[in-house]
This record gives sequence, structure tokens and C-alpha cells, in this order.
Amino acid sequence: MKVNLALSACGALLSVSLPVLAHHAFSAEYDSQRLVEVKGVVTKVEWTNPHAHFYVDVKDESGKVTNWNLELGSPNMLIRNGWKRTSLKAGDEVTVKGSGAKDGANLASASTILFPDGHKLGFLSADDNGPGTSKQ
Amino acid sequence: MTKRILACFLFVGLGTHALLAQGRRAPPPTGPAPKFADGTPDLSGVWMGGGSNSGDISKGLKPGSEFVMLPWAVERMKGLQSKDDPEANCLPFGVPRGAPYPWRLVQTPSIYFILFEGNIHSFRQIFMDGRKHPEDPDPTWYGHSIGRWEGQTLVVDTVGFNDKFWFDYLGHPHTEQLHTIERYTRTDLGNMSIEVTIEDPGAYAKPFTTVGRARLQPGDELLEYICQENNIDLDHVHGPARLP
Repeated sequence: MKVNLALSACGALLSVSLPVLAHHAFSAEYDSQRLVEVKGVVTKVEWTNPHAHFYVDVKDESGKVTNWNLELGSPNMLIRNGWKRTSLKAGDEVTVKGSGAKDGANLASASTILFPDGHKLGFLSADDNGPGTSKQ
Repeated sequence: MTKRILACFLFVGLGTHALLAQGRRAPPPTGPAPKFADGTPDLSGVWMGGGSNSGDISKGLKPGSEFVMLPWAVERMKGLQSKDDPEANCLPFGVPRGAPYPWRLVQTPSIYFILFEGNIHSFRQIFMDGRKHPEDPDPTWYGHSIGRWEGQTLVVDTVGFNDKFWFDYLGHPHTEQLHTIERYTRTDLGNMSIEVTIEDPGAYAKPFTTVGRARLQPGDELLEYICQENNIDLDHVHGPARLP
């Protein structure tokens, strides 16, 4: 279990795929240069407007657990792009990449959610993935 | 990578917002613009798009239009904070700012309705029965709208706006003197052009006209969108008003 904060030249490019459907200015909340990787267990999914959120317990090397708040598009836009409200559930083990909050909170806009079986979900898209829509 | 390159273009305006917002939908159908039995153009359906650049209304104006703000309006914008955008606070976009959510136009004999999925989940009503504007309308988010047909174009004239909403993410302001004239033309089965002339002598030195378009969303329906449900972002939104 780990949390990596890293700078990346492609961060800005990555980030622009996230904010366009937000109901506020993405860059006023998130730093596209502050790439975050969160690995842990989903504790709660809020299938709510204006954004869906899910929460992940992350344990560091000392065993301390931190709960991260991760943002997605609105449920309507997720549904229109292949998500289901059951695509992500409490108890799922996930590795999430995204852009961290500017104010340093344990909050990020999730760009990709990777599952142990290799399928992925995105901030909006379920193109690469989908429980029950495995490529295998 | 193709998606990311595509996404880069999403900053330029609502028209491109629609590319992702429309989701996994079939492309707009082709064919002539439909009409009702009495010959009235049929604009009904679920649409995505809008009549102006929701990021910066001064961009993409109709050729010949000039965007000239009065000095107080220029000063006002300098202090705006992104967290104070009414839209970020789950309040209406007003007119003509559009949202990355679909809307449905419904035509009845005397009133047309525009039903917004978001943001917010609300509606406009356009009176088509020949009435005039009230002499002293109470200022509201969507104003008082009366409509008429000019050929194949629906012309919507609106006054009675409040001064609370922002024209775009940058916060271009207006006053209660705002008067909008929207022109909706279904150019073919799947597309609608939208032009909006904005007159507000309280904030702009001369009228200007925005240009936008909407695309039909075949097979889509409006879904519920209650922005106030869980608007927890606002505590983390910081800094000056800016593009999305």
C-alpha cells in the first residue's frame, strides 16, 4: 500500500481529460502537476451529484491508515459512458491515479482506477474495462 | 493518447464539451429538419450544446460583433473567485451560458419549454401566445421569455433577468438591463444553430452576438441531476475565476 506524489510532464495533458464535465473550474480545485497514486481498499461509494465520489483506505509502511476521497464525473455522465452504479463497490481493491487537490487535502480527481484483474475504469469512461465486460 | 488529444480540445467551448458529455451515443441522424403537420418547425428532442462559449463568452462571436465592456465590468472581473461562480454553488447558468448536460425542447401550442438536466435541474418557459413582456418583471435567473417564428427560426426574446449569474467561467457580468434575443434554427435533422444577441447597456458598450450549436442526442433521455445533493467540492475550490 502506498501513496506516490509525482511530477510528470504529461500531467497537464492528462488532466484536461478530467475537468471538462466538472461544474466548477478543475484547476481551481486540483493540481494537474500533482499526480497522485493511491492503492487500497474502497470503503464507500457516493453515487451522487454533482460528482460521484469514492473513498479508499490507504495503509502506509508503519500501518497508519489514511482515507482518501476520490472524485469522478456525475453519475449521469458515467452511465452515458458505460459505467454502472455497481462498477465500483466497497471492498474492491484498487489502484487509483489522479490529480491531487491544490489545498493538500487527501482528495484527488481520479483519472484511472485499476483492478487486480487488470480492468480499468476512468473519470468518465469505462472503455477499457468494466466489471462483467472483461476483455478476456 | 487519442482520447487525451481529443480532450485537449475540450477547453474551447461547450460545443466540444458535448463530444464526451454525449457519451456512447450514435452520431446525430441525417436528413431534413422535420416539421409538424401544420408546418411549424419541429425543434423537439434531446439536445446537447448551447449558444455561446461557456468558458469565455467573448470568444467565438459572430463576425462583425464587438465585445466592449464598460469600465466597471472590467474592474468587477478582477476580483472574482472561482468558488463564487453561482454555477459552482448549484445555482442556474442563466442565459446564454450552457452546461455540459443535455436539455429537451418541448413544444405545446401556447408555451415552449426548455427542460435542463443540469446545471441546475430546472426549466425555462417561452410564451408563444402573442403576449408581451410585463412592464416591470421581477428579476429572475431565466427572465421572461416570449417567442415567435421568423421563417424556420424560433426567435426568443427575454428580459427581466437578475444580475446574479455569470456569463461564463471567467465571470463576465451583466446587469438587470440584460435583454437577450436567441435564434434557434434546426438546420437539419440532427443539428441546430443557435445565435444569441446580447444587449446590456449597463455592462457593455454595444450589443454583441454569440454563435453556438446543438446536436440531437438520439436515444438519450434526460436523467435526474440534483446538484445540491453532495456539492462537497466547494470547500476545496480556490483562486481566481478561470476557464474550466
